[in-house]
Amino acid sequence: MTTQNNFWQHNRTVLIFALIALTMPFWFPLMGGYSGLDTKIMIFCIFVVGFDILLGFTGYLSFGHAAFFGISAYVTGIMLKSFSDNIIPAILVAVLAATVVAVIIGLLTLKRTGIYFSILTLAFAEMFDSMAMSMLQKWTGGENGLTGMPTPMLFNLKMQGDTVFYFVTLMAILLFYLAKRIERSPVGLMMKAIKCNQTRLEFTGINARKYKLLAFVISAVYAAIAGALMVVYEPFVGHEFLGWHQSGEIVIMSVIGGVGTLVGPMLGAGFMLYFENVLSVNLGEQWLLVLGAIFMAVVIFMPGGFMEGIARLKKRYFTTVDGE
Amino acid sequence: MAILDIHQVSLSFGGLKALQNVNLKIEKGTTHALIGPNGAGKSTLLNVLTGMLKPDDGSVMFDGKPLLNVNSYDINQLGIAKVFQTPAIFPEMTVLQNVTIPVFAARDGSFNLNMFEGRSKQRPLIEFAEQQICELGLENHMHSMAGSLSRGDKRRLEMAICLANKPRLLLLDEPTAGMARHETEKTIELLKSMQDGITKVIVEHDMNVVFSLAEKISVLAQGQIIAEGSPDEIKGHPKVIEAYLGEAQV
Ligand SMILES: Nc1ncnc2c1ncn2[C@@H]1O[C@H](COP(=O)(O)OP(=O)(O)O)[C@@H](O)[C@H]1O
Ligand SMILES: [Mg+2]
Repeated sequence: MTTQNNFWQHNRTVLIFALIALTMPFWFPLMGGYSGLDTKIMIFCIFVVGFDILLGFTGYLSFGHAAFFGISAYVTGIMLKSFSDNIIPAILVAVLAATVVAVIIGLLTLKRTGIYFSILTLAFAEMFDSMAMSMLQKWTGGENGLTGMPTPMLFNLKMQGDTVFYFVTLMAILLFYLAKRIERSPVGLMMKAIKCNQTRLEFTGINARKYKLLAFVISAVYAAIAGALMVVYEPFVGHEFLGWHQSGEIVIMSVIGGVGTLVGPMLGAGFMLYFENVLSVNLGEQWLLVLGAIFMAVVIFMPGGFMEGIARLKKRYFTTVDGE
Repeated sequence: MAILDIHQVSLSFGGLKALQNVNLKIEKGTTHALIGPNGAGKSTLLNVLTGMLKPDDGSVMFDGKPLLNVNSYDINQLGIAKVFQTPAIFPEMTVLQNVTIPVFAARDGSFNLNMFEGRSKQRPLIEFAEQQICELGLENHMHSMAGSLSRGDKRRLEMAICLANKPRLLLLDEPTAGMARHETEKTIELLKSMQDGITKVIVEHDMNVVFSLAEKISVLAQGQIIAEGSPDEIKGHPKVIEAYLGEAQV
C-alpha cells in the first residue's frame, strides 16, 4: 500500500469532519440553526470526543465530567475578568487547573469499577457544584453565575461571531485528529483492551490502572478545553455547567451517537443540540417527550447508536467490503 | 538449575488450608505436571505464582528474584505467562489485535506514553504477531473477532497471546478441559512443538496428556505435595493411588 493511500485511509474521517464543520456557517442556517448554535455544537463535539476516550475505549462510565467542564469555565471566566482579556493564558490556566483536579479524582474513583465508579464520579462533581454555590460564591457568583467579563481577545483579535466559530472549529478538528491518533497508537489498543478483558490485559504485562488514569485525564482535558471555549463563546458561567444534568447530557449524546466510535458521539452532540434548540420550537411543549422516545428507540433497536444505523445502511446499499 | 523455587508456601481461605508448606522446584526447560484430585489446591498454587493470591507464609523465587508482593503485570514482564482454564482473550477485538497487545507489552513494558505512534507503522512487530498467529494455525482467522472463534481456536489464540509475550515460564491450568478428543490431541502436539527453552507447568486431569508431556510430576492433595517423580515413578506410587481412590483415573 502506498503512503498516500495510507494517509487517506487514516485521515478520511478527520477530513470529512473538517469539511462539514468548516462549511457549517453556509448550510446550517438553511436548516433553521441560529447563528452561534454551530459554535456551541463544535464545543460539545470536543467534549464528547474526549469523553469517548474514557467511555468508548476503556468502558468506564463517568457521571461527573461536568466537573472538569465547569471548573475550567469558572477559571477561564475569573482569569478573563481579573488577569487579562487574552484567552490564551486564561485557557491554559483553566485546563491546567482542571487537569490537576482530574488526576486526584481519577486516582480516587478508578479504585472502583462499574456502577461504583459512576457513582463516585457523580458524587465528586456534586461536591464541586455545592462548593461553587457556597464557600466559593465570592468568585463564582453563586446562583447568579459569573458575569462581567470583558470581550475575550486572541491577542489583537476580538473573539466575536465568526471568529469564535472558526477558532473553536479549528480546535475541534485538531482535537478529533489527536483522538484518532491515540486510537491508532499502542496506548489506544491498551485502553480498548481494558474494556474487553482487564484480567487478561494485566496477565499480559500491562498496568491497566495507569492506562485507565491516562484515559480519564485525557477525557478531562477535552472537557476542560470545551468548558473554557464556552466562556469564549459566551462570557457567562452558570452553576449548571457543573451539574449532574450536564454530565448526563454528555452520556446521552454519546449513547445516541454510538459509544466507542469517536464520530458517533459528535453526531449525537449535533443531533441533541439541534433538537433542543431548533426542533423543540416546532414541537412545542412535547419536545422532551419526543426526545425521550427517540433515545429509547435508539437504545432498544440500535444499541450501537447512529453509527450502527449508518453501518447497516452501508451494508445494505454498498455490497463491496472495505478493509477496516 | 531451578527456574522456579517455591519454598514453604501456605495459604488459607478462612479456616480452609488450601496450601500447606508447599515446596516445589521447577527445573529450567522442563515440562512439569501438577496433578491431584479436585480441590487439592492446584489452581490456588498457580494463582500465587501469578500474583493473584498472596500466601500467608513462604517464599517464591523466579530466576533468583522474589515474586511475592509483586503485581501481576510485573510478574508477567519478568517472563511468566498463564493460560487460563477458560480461555482468557479479548473477545471484541480481532485475532491480530489480540496478539498485537503482548507484542507491544514486550517492547514497551507495563506502561508507555507513546500516544501518537501509529501501530501499523511498526511493520516488524505486526509481522511478528502475524507469525505467532500462523504458527498456531489461526491464519484464516487473522481479522475475525476473537469472540466468534470456536473454543479450541480461542484456546489456541490464548496460547498465541502468551507466546507473543516471549515467556520463560508458561503456566497452564487445565488447558484441555472441556475439549473433544481430537482437540486435546492437537493441544498436546502444540505443547510438544512449542519452541524449546520455555519451561512449562501444567495442571491437568487427563492422564494421557500428563504422561505424554511431563518429564516430572508433582502430586498435590489437600494442599500438600504428597509425591513427586518421573511419570513411571508416579504411576505406581501407593500414596497417589490412595489420593485418587474413587476417581479411578490412574
Ligand atoms: N477464592 C476462594 N475462596 C475460598 N475458597 C477457595 C477459593 N479458591 C479456592 N478455594 C478452595 O480452596 C481449595 C483449593 O481450590 P483449587 O486450588 O481451585 O483446587 P484445584 O486443585 O481443583 O484447582 C478448594 O477447597 C476450594 O474450594
Ligand atoms: Mg482448578
